[in-house]
Amino acid sequence: MTVPLVAGAKIHFSYGDREILSGVDLCVAEGEVTVLLGPNGAGKSTLLKILSGILVPRLGEVTVLGRPPASYGRREMARLLAVAGQDPPVDFPMSVEEFVMLGRFPHHGFFGGSTDGDRREVERALATTGLSGLRRRGLSEISAGERQRATLARAIAQGARVMLLDEPTAFLDIYHRVAFYEIVTGLAETCGVGALVASHDLSLCAEYGKRIVLLAGGQVRADGRPEAVLTPENIRDAFGVAVACDRNPATGAVRVTTVRREREKRV
Amino acid sequence: MTRPDRGDADGKPRAWGVVVALAGAFAGAVAWSVVTGPVPLSLREVVEAFRHVLATEPSRSPAARVVLELRLPRALLGALVGGALSSSGVAFQALLRNPLADPYILGVSGGAAVGALTAALLLPADASLPLPLCAFLGAALAAAGVFLLARRRSGVSRERLILMGVVVGAFLNAVIMMMVALSPPGKIPGAIYWLMGDLSLGTLRRVGLLVPYVAAGAGVLFLLSRGMDLLLLGDEAAFQTGLPVERVKTAVYLTASLLAGSVVAVSGLISFVGLIVPHGARVLVGSGHRRLLPAAFLMGGTFLVAADILARSMSASGELPVGAVTALAGAPFFLYLLRRNGGKP
Repeated sequence: MTVPLVAGAKIHFSYGDREILSGVDLCVAEGEVTVLLGPNGAGKSTLLKILSGILVPRLGEVTVLGRPPASYGRREMARLLAVAGQDPPVDFPMSVEEFVMLGRFPHHGFFGGSTDGDRREVERALATTGLSGLRRRGLSEISAGERQRATLARAIAQGARVMLLDEPTAFLDIYHRVAFYEIVTGLAETCGVGALVASHDLSLCAEYGKRIVLLAGGQVRADGRPEAVLTPENIRDAFGVAVACDRNPATGAVRVTTVRREREKRV
Repeated sequence: MTRPDRGDADGKPRAWGVVVALAGAFAGAVAWSVVTGPVPLSLREVVEAFRHVLATEPSRSPAARVVLELRLPRALLGALVGGALSSSGVAFQALLRNPLADPYILGVSGGAAVGALTAALLLPADASLPLPLCAFLGAALAAAGVFLLARRRSGVSRERLILMGVVVGAFLNAVIMMMVALSPPGKIPGAIYWLMGDLSLGTLRRVGLLVPYVAAGAGVLFLLSRGMDLLLLGDEAAFQTGLPVERVKTAVYLTASLLAGSVVAVSGLISFVGLIVPHGARVLVGSGHRRLLPAAFLMGGTFLVAADILARSMSASGELPVGAVTALAGAPFFLYLLRRNGGKP
């Protein structure tokens, strides 16, 4: 088996005395889209921060291409691993294009000017996310969904082999949600990017994710193909809601639908 | 929608044009400042004075002395101080990700003032430690203190920096009030004038001493400009985009404090330049620091020299402290900014 792009083994992490993760194993493979599901507070964002080196786990170890994150220089690491998370800042005027160009920092560094190559990558990222027409607009002048796409464009422009995406579709309409999964699976298939997507889109991720990891109570509850992970039992255990799981007649992918009233009866 | 519109890809040609125009205004303001003053001098006399300097032959004419010993140092000092304060303001705004930050937000002003008052009160008039040096030491100590107080094992957070800056600033303000209240009468009028911001301390020697500090400080900030672009994203995103965040923050903080401290030492507390000018420059050239820093330096120098010309010509009997003029122009802007921002920090 090849070395996974990013792997976490037996990760333990706590904020103060509140344990968030207790022994989580997870890896991101080349050319694969893995979706990380789990209720609010399950530790999805914390796990992404640990994998990107922002937080250091109390126990367990993280490897990026077989080496610990701290063994890489910052820029070297950013060329391997890109993250799209928080909402971008709107305190200062910055155009969409300038913002996406910041993703090229690991390639041109402090002193190099942005090359034609950098501009091509930015162009491509803007076109991929459908933002070419908004390039001159300020980040504060566009909608939250458009800002979220700009954040994705910045991560794409970074040209990394791994992308960690923290709820990248939270503000997107259904068209752009679908477009997001198309973009990410496209990057995985054509460029071999390994993507880890923390999300709440149960049915969409079943359609697009090769692999789903269900995180709840600080542990991995299930890890595998969508039809193995997305079962009524798993989802009830993790989220405390009753659902019905069947197949989408058009595609054959798992489809998750909530069942009314069941929740009160169970809890 | 996806049709790429060609042309100035990131507004560059226009923005650099603005920087060139600002450089012209900068030089123009310095020249205008040298030509104007209470003693009417013709342009010929001014040119004559400079010709003598270039020919390194001492000129005895009073016009030459006015130009070379009074007006030129003062104009150059204004240009340097305005430029340095604006650059420092740009850096603090990026570091703290706060449009209302200025060079004085983290204790530099209070430290410098305590240093200056200490010099005026405790040292004999002919002491070897002059007021500017004490002010600089005070500023450096206060900035270092705020930094160390805000530091934790995980690094320096901007919230803690602001909090510690405010706490240390309040403490130093109390010290200043005590020193002013308890000082014997007649001991500190010079220091009070200094507190309001004053360019009359400019001598060619002091300007010469200041040049390396300002050049080094502004130069280092320029080299860090990409890093400041990324700091605007927030610490986590900047880190994930490949920036060694803690090292860059430390470098920006120390450089911007040194820059502010060194000019405060010579010019006193000139307010609002470091706050207004970065915003004005951002309107002209955007938030990219490679263009913003030079633009803010030139704009700040121009603004302060112009404010000084105004301060010298507003009252017939003497002159106003330039700090009063900058604040007069700055306060309305500050209110406008707060209102436009809806009170958000």
